Amino acid sequence: MNKERWRKVNEIFHTALEHDTATREAYVQTATAGDAELLREVQTLLNSHMRSPEFLDKPAWAVDPELALGDEASLAGKQIGNYRILAEIGRGGMGVVYEAQDERLRRTVAFKALPPEYTSDPARRERLIREARAAAALSHPAIATIFYLEEIDGGLYIISELVRGRTLREELRDGPLPPSQLLPALISIADALVAAHQRGIVHRDLKPENIIRRDDGQIKVLDFGLARPTTGSQTTALTQDGSVLGTPGYMSPEQLSPGAEIDGRSDIFAFGVIAWELATGEHPFGTDAAAVFARMNDLLEGKTPGLSRPLPLPGLDRIARRCMRRTPAERYPSAQALLADLRALEGSRISTPVPARHDSYWWWQGHQIIVSTVNAAAPATVFMCRGWIGRPLGPRLFLASLALATISVALRLNLFFASRVHPETLVAQRTRVFPAIAVLDTLLAGSLLAAAIALNAGDHDGLAAIFVALAAVMLASLSLIEPATTAAAGLNRPEKR
Amino acid sequence: MTDDRQSVNSLLPVVYQELRRLAANYLRRERPGQTLQPTALVHEAYMRLMKDKPGRWQNRAHFCAIAAHSMRQILIERARARGAQKRGGARQRVTLDERLMPGGEQSIDLLALDEALERLAAIDPDQARLVELRFFGGLTVEETAEAMEISPATVKRHWTVASAWLARELEGNSQA
Repeated sequence: MNKERWRKVNEIFHTALEHDTATREAYVQTATAGDAELLREVQTLLNSHMRSPEFLDKPAWAVDPELALGDEASLAGKQIGNYRILAEIGRGGMGVVYEAQDERLRRTVAFKALPPEYTSDPARRERLIREARAAAALSHPAIATIFYLEEIDGGLYIISELVRGRTLREELRDGPLPPSQLLPALISIADALVAAHQRGIVHRDLKPENIIRRDDGQIKVLDFGLARPTTGSQTTALTQDGSVLGTPGYMSPEQLSPGAEIDGRSDIFAFGVIAWELATGEHPFGTDAAAVFARMNDLLEGKTPGLSRPLPLPGLDRIARRCMRRTPAERYPSAQALLADLRALEGSRISTPVPARHDSYWWWQGHQIIVSTVNAAAPATVFMCRGWIGRPLGPRLFLASLALATISVALRLNLFFASRVHPETLVAQRTRVFPAIAVLDTLLAGSLLAAAIALNAGDHDGLAAIFVALAAVMLASLSLIEPATTAAAGLNRPEKR
Repeated sequence: MTDDRQSVNSLLPVVYQELRRLAANYLRRERPGQTLQPTALVHEAYMRLMKDKPGRWQNRAHFCAIAAHSMRQILIERARARGAQKRGGARQRVTLDERLMPGGEQSIDLLALDEALERLAAIDPDQARLVELRFFGGLTVEETAEAMEISPATVKRHWTVASAWLARELEGNSQA
């Protein structure tokens, strides 16, 4: 039918509807003026309209919710090949996961039924099989092992290690990860990325939902290489059917850009987001669509998304920010480099709880400044009194106290500086140098007492009393006040806590 | 323009995800049994997404058209995959509210509808677009009018004839 004729059909159809049912037929007969085909066209349309006036009134997804959601009927209770499906344990974009009994090997496995749209097209199916094969070659403690890829009655199923535990998403419901677990978990994930990337396998959909902490504490990353059934040339975030690959809150900018190459550095971006989320309990950009949109907009316009608050662990803050840079070239070049930085961070004992609120350092910092001032004053006082102390003790005590005080003050000021600039290294540094400081300060107090004894012998009791008081203050400060301010700042090593 | 299209394309995954999430929410809330409201899903997604970033899309119509088309692609692809998986090759029929199909069919073949819509597009692209917006995008008459920059009365007229045409095509299809 041409457009002209269709316009005519429309015209007659609408005018006919304005007529009563009684006069309608007559009108249509007249209007079509003996054109039998036109008459039939209009009549059948009118009939259709009268039969189902509400046809298509419901939107498509209301007509078939299962279709809209991509929900497939549960297989629980069924027997598929050699697998007895026990219970559904999860649903995601890449299919439904069940707990199943492998009847040949008599073990419980995770049974993933891949959605039909990924398996119905032969080319896509082939790609998927290739990716699963590559992923099955991965053997790493932090990666859930793939056992088999099964093709049963046209369906495609991935059989893998069943990991019992809680996903990091579930753990995040209780807030951020405790500091003692944070770095070890991140190191496990990074280690898994290293193993996968070395074999050329990119996860592409790394997120807290895909990472499980097994009941014995071992971290397991799930679904390596299966997040996207494409390889090589087709590297955009969209599949042909337009389904989403990846999760907006964790997808790197290049995963959202058509035609952009995707490599391991996309996983590193997601890692940064996860590190941030595990450390704070909050997603760095927000997960609701509006926030994600705003962020994507920033990213596409060349801005690195605003991360206003720093992480409580400054070292981790630097690492996470570097992971989340907009362009892959600005991020860590490889998972190895990322892992190395995480290990170094762990080595510097940043994992020990550095207080989130740095104002808890205030008392400790104030104490360091006061003690440094007193220590600096000690040799000066000895110098002024050296005549009364007498020779050769006076000048010698002066030189001794000067040396002791200089070293002690230098060490203390160094710690003070670290607390302001590199708080993440403070615990380690303080633990290392404090014994030396304690010895130096004790010897300094000792030299003051020696001066007091000499002054007392020379009948300068008033001066001797001042020196004794000064030494007493130093010792009391060292043994009573300093431990208190240190504890308040949370700088003790974890073993002592 | 091309820049804009570029960013629209790159943001589509987010749109899809949001659409599915909203669909899931509605369906979860409304299932089972009750009549589903023809909710302006796309409209809501649009409003939420635009709250922060006005001017990202050329205009609402642009967004709605893309979202509705996306929804159509997703649903048809899934229906096709589901059909392919069924052995014996019988097409999956979708159950429709009985009131909508009095005295006859109780289901609608989405794939047949998709094909019929293609044929309609050959005769009248505007009407096909309108059906896409209303049926796949879930827009109301008024929203469709706004998106297509025509009057609500015109939307209703087009809708009446287009839906009658499609209903007839599908009846013919099921008889054949």
